[in-house]
Amino acid sequence: MDMFTLMSGLQLTCIYGILAIGVSIIWSSLGMLNLAHGFTFAVSGYGAWWAATTLGNSGWIVLGAGVATGGLVGLCIYFVAFLYIYDKPNYPIRALIATMAINMVGVQTLMWLFGPRMKSLPKVFGSGVVRLGEVVMTYGQMGTIICSVGTLGALLTWLGLSRRGLEIRAVMQNREGAALVGISLRTTALWVLVLTGALAGLAAVLLSQTFFVNPYAGLQPLIKGLIVALLGGLGSIGGAMIGALIIGFAEALTASYLGGQYVLMVQFGMIIAILLIRPRGIAGLLDESREE
Amino acid sequence: MSEVLSVSGVSAGYGSLRVLHDISLSINRGERVGLVGLNGHGKSTLFRTITGLVDWQNGSITLNGVQIGGKRTHGPGLKTHWIARQGVALMPQGDAMFIGLTVRQHLDAGAFTRLAWSERHDRREKILEIFPPLRKLLNQPVGKLSGGERRMVTLGRGLMGDVKLYLVDEPSLGLAPKISRAVIDALMKVELTEGAMVIAEQNLQLLEGCVDRLIGIHGGEIKGAADSLSLQSGMI
Amino acid sequence: MDKKKPSDNTLVGRRRWLPRFILAGNRTLHRRYIPFTRRTWFQGYAEVNPRNLVREYKLDDKRPWFWIVGLVLAFIIPMVIGTNLVYTAAITFAMYSAINLMWMLVIGTAGIFSLATLAVVGVSAYLTAWLSIDFGITWPMMLILGALIGLVVGVIIGLPALRIDGLYFALLTMGMVELCRVYVVSSKVFGAAQGGLYGADTFIPADWQFQTPGLVLGYVAAFCLMLLMLGIYRLVNGQRLGLLLATARESEATAEALGINYQLARLTVFVISSAALGFIGGFYAAYYKGASPALFSIDMVMLLFAMLVIGGIGRAEGAVVGTAVVVFIDKIFVEYGAIRLVIIGLIMLAVTLFARNGILGVRLQFVEFRNKTKSGRRAQRTEKGGEAMPEEATEIRDKDQIYFRRFDKRLREDLKKMVTPELIEEHRVKPLGQHSDSLERVLNYFRRAGGENKYVLYEISPGIEYKVVATTGIRGLLPRDVDDVVYTDKNEALHAVFLKRVQDLMES
Repeated sequence: MDMFTLMSGLQLTCIYGILAIGVSIIWSSLGMLNLAHGFTFAVSGYGAWWAATTLGNSGWIVLGAGVATGGLVGLCIYFVAFLYIYDKPNYPIRALIATMAINMVGVQTLMWLFGPRMKSLPKVFGSGVVRLGEVVMTYGQMGTIICSVGTLGALLTWLGLSRRGLEIRAVMQNREGAALVGISLRTTALWVLVLTGALAGLAAVLLSQTFFVNPYAGLQPLIKGLIVALLGGLGSIGGAMIGALIIGFAEALTASYLGGQYVLMVQFGMIIAILLIRPRGIAGLLDESREE
Repeated sequence: MSEVLSVSGVSAGYGSLRVLHDISLSINRGERVGLVGLNGHGKSTLFRTITGLVDWQNGSITLNGVQIGGKRTHGPGLKTHWIARQGVALMPQGDAMFIGLTVRQHLDAGAFTRLAWSERHDRREKILEIFPPLRKLLNQPVGKLSGGERRMVTLGRGLMGDVKLYLVDEPSLGLAPKISRAVIDALMKVELTEGAMVIAEQNLQLLEGCVDRLIGIHGGEIKGAADSLSLQSGMI
Repeated sequence: MDKKKPSDNTLVGRRRWLPRFILAGNRTLHRRYIPFTRRTWFQGYAEVNPRNLVREYKLDDKRPWFWIVGLVLAFIIPMVIGTNLVYTAAITFAMYSAINLMWMLVIGTAGIFSLATLAVVGVSAYLTAWLSIDFGITWPMMLILGALIGLVVGVIIGLPALRIDGLYFALLTMGMVELCRVYVVSSKVFGAAQGGLYGADTFIPADWQFQTPGLVLGYVAAFCLMLLMLGIYRLVNGQRLGLLLATARESEATAEALGINYQLARLTVFVISSAALGFIGGFYAAYYKGASPALFSIDMVMLLFAMLVIGGIGRAEGAVVGTAVVVFIDKIFVEYGAIRLVIIGLIMLAVTLFARNGILGVRLQFVEFRNKTKSGRRAQRTEKGGEAMPEEATEIRDKDQIYFRRFDKRLREDLKKMVTPELIEEHRVKPLGQHSDSLERVLNYFRRAGGENKYVLYEISPGIEYKVVATTGIRGLLPRDVDDVVYTDKNEALHAVFLKRVQDLMES
């Protein structure tokens, strides 16, 4: 495979991985499938664009604005889709529908405010290229990969070592047991939603290096992020990362060798195949000791 | 005021089913109390009422003077974490486990106050002294442990925080007699300077000579108490 | 008609109000059946009203009336208003209702959360339009072929549904829709450049197209389509398949234990609805003379889903009412552009958060809430034992029983307090004769008790041997022995009976 394919594969892996891990964490700790992630994605792009046009072109500002907008949207989702219904009956379906509604409302509002034309973001990482021996990477690609890997690494370390991270992981496993040791579900939910929102914001800014910002920008990444999370097994971070690798490289390879319009078909074929063999996703293969 | 827990006139239930009828009892500092009764007569429900996991409850429950009981209509568990932070540790029947976490992480999860968190290494050491078999298993995911080991992890987790009231629900459930003995002995080793412990058990012999007094619960009401440990007939 | 008064608050929940018709002249009910079936036109039964002893016919099911009135109104109103705009809106309403009814069948009856329904319509519409344009098929063939295409697609999508978990499947279908859209938008065969296919055969005569008569015909046809789908829904949901799946919805383990092959039933329902959706796709292509990529847009799917949610998932009424509400808003606010969808989205959000079974489920939700809080509060108030719990009380025909039990319990509480060692001693010393007030009360209570399980004295031989037995209260059945003790002294025996009765009293 040529360098370009390899690079785009890695890039896509990072972005899908970020989104998928967010979805996975939200699902297993809160029991909510967050369909509004697409909206978070799109709105963060707009937030970054607005910051770029009003505050300045620096990469830090753009990145920071995207992340902050994402976190803010996560906060809104907390208040609207979580807080009122998390202890009521039928909560998972209702949360799903509520996030769907937020997505619909949000995307249409963006449409109404900004129109369907796309906006472009300034390059966060500059526009040079780097040569390492035979490998040629744009700053953008390298920046994306380093940024995502760094953020994910930091996130996972924090989840593993800090008190708050332990709380989140405990809630992911057993909500009642967590309450018994003094972990408040509401506070944890707040942290989870804000953090995953910020992650989606980061992914939006990173992806916008190659694509434009528009209200529907979140749709395909949402679907792919969800699929990767499914593939990895909802609730498993390791599974999500492996799934991201598979799907990201499938996309890059298909786009290079078969053509862009077959990407989704190939990805779907793979997913259906894997889900038919292992209906619970890759996580079932990873962790043998899990019991239901 | 040396009363750690004071329950007065508490009734509780699930939906239209009333399980506890007008219960009153009080536990003093440093006491180990055994709660005995048959299955389904309200031992676990009493514990769950104290930690706020039932659908509704009447009456007053105070922990060291702080009111933790009260009416609730919206759903169980909303105040549980606050009650836990007040110093109540429930070790539930069948263990509420975090299956994917390791033993070490489980124990750490029990240290919920800031002080406990910063001291967690020392506290973990103390718990490993009480439960020596856990030392080798510190990095194992809990899903791979046997029943007795899991019970030890749950008990250890409960001991990590600054707990004033220990509520142990059926510590010997599903365990072989030798291991149940070991578990009860370990419970007895826990120091109760500031707090108290209530152990719910069906098996009276295990509690013989260990607890300071017994309370019987039958049909959701307190029936009988014993100060000495001679098994009194007609109590159950 | 006789309206029942709301019962007093010892009952859990309230009785439904059912309309009653007095049968003239006290005649009996003559049941009429739908031809060729054993079903009556309306569900109801005749009984004698216990209050005034008049024969009445109670209608059990009010829903057919609502349907009839609603459908007639829905048919007539657009005709009455008569503008082209209203006709177009009505056609949209009818077609979306048809789609939603089939979607409700999939989600509600089969329990498969699929977002691909519109995609089936789209695939069928595209294929039939293409066949008509390129191969010249007439519109009846389009309808039939559409159904076949739907069938095939249904099998393809339905088989994975059985194996893959519900939520995963929903997301997969969402992806499938997107896949179709991407394909159609970039494919020359399917008219990507022109924005869709156009030019298929249609059932509207050429000179009527885009004119009012054409719209009227289109509306009538669409309405008939909706009625057809309604019929299919009733047929599937109300008959064998629906009933089998109702069990599976509650608990799959139970269904399996009963030997119900619910996976096959689900697949069957899915395939039937897909075939119907294919038929709708053919109709769509035949009416609009083509197909456009809008059929695959996620927006459209969300819109249709909003209709289902707002109406209430699980009932056919929900599909139709929800569609009506959303189409109404859509057309009223058409000049505001994208804001319409925002409003619809907000309504969907509000419905999910507050009215969890949709608009039509509000009443049920309220009733459930009221019952739950009432019974919770009642359980807080009720005392244990003795008094009849309200759930029991509704089953007791003779309400006097309830009051008797209440009185009896209070009396027993009082008597328990009176029984002291002195009282027992008093009786032991002198079982018969004049006693103190408390002892008299206790003795009277015992003597008043019914004949069932009553301790009495049996003279084995008069004056010499006595035994305590318990009567059974059943005529012809001999009393049973209580213990082996034989008394020689009558007073001692009487006291023994008294002691046994006292023990029973204290333990009750």
